[in-house]
Amino acid sequence: MNIVVLVKQVPNTHDVRIDPKTGNLIREGVESIINPEDRHALEAALGIKDRLGAEITALTMGPPQAIEVICEAVATGADRGILLSDKAFAGADTWATSTALGLAIKRIGEFDIILAGRQAIDGDTAQIGPQVAEFLGIPQLTYVRDLEVLEGKITAERVLEDGCERIEAPFPVLLTVLAALNEPRHPTVAGMLRSASERAPIEVWNAADIGAKALDVGFLGSLTQVTRTFTPKEARNTRHLEGSPGSVAAQLIQCLQEQGIRLGE
Amino acid sequence: MNKIATPIPEDLIRKMFRRFTEEEIIPRAREMDEANEFPRWMFEKVARTGAYGIRYSPRVGGGGGNTTQFCVMVEELARGSMSVAAFTAMQCLMGTNFLYEYGTPDHHERLFKPAIRGEKVASFALTEADAATDLAGVKTIARQDGDEWIINGSKTWITNAPCADFFTVLCQTDKSKGLRGLNFFLIERGTPGLYVSKKFDKLGTRATEISELAFTDVRVPFENRLGKEGQGVSNLMRMLGVIRAMTAALSLGLARAAYEHAARYAMERTQFGKKIGSFQLVQQKIANMATEIWASQLMVYKVTEMIDRGERPLKEASMAKYFASEVACRAADEATRVFGAYSYSMEYDVQRFYRDCRFLLFGGGTSEILQTIISRECGVF
Amino acid sequence: MAVSIDVDKCNGCGMCSRSCPYLALVIEDKKAKWLEERCTLCGACLESCKFGALTGEMPTREVPDFSDYRDVWVFVEQHDGALHRSAFELIGCARGLADDLGQKVAVAVFGAEVKGQAQDLIRHGADRCIVVEDPGLAYYRTCTYTHVLGEIIRGYKPGILLIAATHLGRDLAPRLARRMGLGLTADCTRLSIDPEEKILLQTRPAFGGNIMATIVSRFSRPQTATVRPGIMKALEPDATRTGEIVVEELDMAECREFTHVLECVLQEKKRADLAAAKIIVAGGRPVCSERGIEVLREFAEAVGAEVACTRVVVEEGFLPVEHQVGQTGQSVRPEVYFACGISGAIQHKAGMDGSRYIVAINKDPDAPIFGVADYAIVGDLFEILPALTRSIKGS
Repeated sequence: MNIVVLVKQVPNTHDVRIDPKTGNLIREGVESIINPEDRHALEAALGIKDRLGAEITALTMGPPQAIEVICEAVATGADRGILLSDKAFAGADTWATSTALGLAIKRIGEFDIILAGRQAIDGDTAQIGPQVAEFLGIPQLTYVRDLEVLEGKITAERVLEDGCERIEAPFPVLLTVLAALNEPRHPTVAGMLRSASERAPIEVWNAADIGAKALDVGFLGSLTQVTRTFTPKEARNTRHLEGSPGSVAAQLIQCLQEQGIRLGE
Repeated sequence: MNKIATPIPEDLIRKMFRRFTEEEIIPRAREMDEANEFPRWMFEKVARTGAYGIRYSPRVGGGGGNTTQFCVMVEELARGSMSVAAFTAMQCLMGTNFLYEYGTPDHHERLFKPAIRGEKVASFALTEADAATDLAGVKTIARQDGDEWIINGSKTWITNAPCADFFTVLCQTDKSKGLRGLNFFLIERGTPGLYVSKKFDKLGTRATEISELAFTDVRVPFENRLGKEGQGVSNLMRMLGVIRAMTAALSLGLARAAYEHAARYAMERTQFGKKIGSFQLVQQKIANMATEIWASQLMVYKVTEMIDRGERPLKEASMAKYFASEVACRAADEATRVFGAYSYSMEYDVQRFYRDCRFLLFGGGTSEILQTIISRECGVF
Repeated sequence: MAVSIDVDKCNGCGMCSRSCPYLALVIEDKKAKWLEERCTLCGACLESCKFGALTGEMPTREVPDFSDYRDVWVFVEQHDGALHRSAFELIGCARGLADDLGQKVAVAVFGAEVKGQAQDLIRHGADRCIVVEDPGLAYYRTCTYTHVLGEIIRGYKPGILLIAATHLGRDLAPRLARRMGLGLTADCTRLSIDPEEKILLQTRPAFGGNIMATIVSRFSRPQTATVRPGIMKALEPDATRTGEIVVEELDMAECREFTHVLECVLQEKKRADLAAAKIIVAGGRPVCSERGIEVLREFAEAVGAEVACTRVVVEEGFLPVEHQVGQTGQSVRPEVYFACGISGAIQHKAGMDGSRYIVAINKDPDAPIFGVADYAIVGDLFEILPALTRSIKGS
């Protein structure tokens, strides 16, 4: 069985702080990490490999330093790692990213399962999984919290807003997984040191390697553009609510409603 | 296919163990400290990362790492828990090194490989009631009897002893030869005549267990002498630089933890309507901690770099260990001052740093003896 | 053909080959050769040839003419024929956008039997309701819904399409966007029309909510966004509103569905962990009584919140330790944190000051908790909380 795991290097958003004067993100000292849910995707792949045997390829797109997440995936048990890195890929939205990832997967060759985290903590879009699935013309199972691999097919438990469903899909299939799926293992020391060596089964591909044209990928291939970024909220301005308990309650409900939060729904 | 620079292995190891520490150790550090016993579950969790084999060749199931990578790893672990870092260091270095270098194939299969897989606990016994840095004072005797050795004597302050499966024990085989009459012996738990005392009640590193050993006519096979006759001390001296660099790295990890807690708290806690971090006397503490930690770091990793180049920087390693352990104690002390009364509360971690840092003052040689050694190396004695 | 080489002018100097980042220009037999399959059309080589041997034209990017795409559309989510609460919110939002553009609001609703909902959608602001009914649409399945919505878009050419950022919407929208070639912005919290360009400004949080980004889709139509539920305001229903109801017949045979639903379990909300909770109601020392916990729980239940507490409440045995927030407990960052009778010791604040909005209720006007609160209520939680519970249940 062949499994592709999509991983992403992200800034640890827990460390991200805003410069109170400029309103800009302070990126200095912010650690780059493997996207947390992607570790669960990798663990799911390793679990299948442990039980049934599989060849796992970890794939990411990012700047040269994103090689670290590929090293980590290989050190944790992936058989092969591929980094898509090229200036031409820079500034991609999810459309252009899914194009590049999709083309790369086609070049990787035969596969049965693609696994990815539900979403990345820097963007929270949850779009890459379904877009890659559609690019490849294969079924998608999102929000997966449990899965079972059977002969030529997979059954998964998907979390819905108000419950869950069990769903069956044939191979090849793409799944995006939730943290509840499993407990990810740590990489090994030996694996880490090997992954940083010349002998590591890690490749770096550029746009030409996957047959992409400059207008298909990166900023030029994107359908959306960011026009402005700004800081959402300044320091807390405490607002005092006064009056009888009933009136205070009404005021508070009103205030929160103005912020887009409706209690009791 | 295009080439890009491969990542620096030290960085990968640091990241890996930083996350391991944050996810696995820090949330349980207080609990382990309070339980006051060897957390075998944590020992096994660390084992699954392959940490215990980091220094050894991939041929025996190790990681093939160097001293720098080893020190980076224990530094990161020490940032979470000195206890966990201490038993990891014992398992990686002192407890297994002689077995790796001088053990028989049977020792390797039965003890060494299981030890780096975390299935067996290793320990190292050097200190005696009247001998520690003064190796010539070792009174535990190994006497040859046919194809066996008969060992008599006792050891004290033995890390991991209450839970260890085997011990590397320094014994005297010929008193007349002085330091050249000392050798290391492998003694397995359960060997008749081996007595392990109950664990000591200690101020700090409460999740590592330490106790005494006593040997009464303990018989071990001839091949349990690890190393050539009379080479015990010279073999130990080769490892001593690594031990001191490692203890310095442990100190660095603890100092960083104390500093990080203090710096965070200084920006949270308010007095007189201001963050205490806005007071210059608090700023001075933070600045001193940060500066000294940087100096320790430069020293530790300069020494490991020298070791990895094949040098034997005993003077520099002693300086690094002396300096870094004192820095750790100062950082822990300053952190308690930044925390004020809260440092006195068992609810905060700074009290643990304050207790654990004392371990660093004697492990790997006391500051006083190290100063003597450094001075001697400087030609003043 | 984008790059061509005039072999008569080429002297094989190799300048073009060196300028190419992709090894798409090589020198063979002392002449440059262009390898089309490796060329990404990046244009790096165009200025490299000193002899005029290499010429080429790189494709440029143009904004297509979208003048025949109009109206603001909402995909209406329904389960078992019941509309999802997000539907009216999205219509309310679409109404504002459509009014700014001088266009109409259209909604698309699919299901086994959904025609009956059309009037309600119109009353809430839709001008036109496109209904597709088929037994195969009773239950959401990715490829089926993608197919149907895709066909509707192809036929009607909307200018804007809004989909709720629910689990369903976030499964459907990216699949649809990829199939139809649409720019898509996820989980928007604010939408408006650019007054000059007349395009949709889609604003959403990024970096864990640390910054907001405004995103536009200039190159595709409809401009598609998923919208976070609970943010947009629904309009008051107006029974006098009229609109057009169109029932579309689609050939469902064209749609390929891969998956097979084995079972669907709708369950009561499980006790989620504090870290994932949207709203947290936390109590301090004053709730240390059976009555106190009851008041806390009643309010939490009314607002769908998780119950949390300070260390002392755990130590007094009123709540298990997994409810503890603070230095020694959990760190939380919900949308709203109600600190009830909590003084705001630093060890507690450390665990909750990342919350988006903090409501503090305390008798002591000098309690430090008010320093981090967005909304401060000086008063007795035993009066305030029941009043809040009543107001919410009453509304």
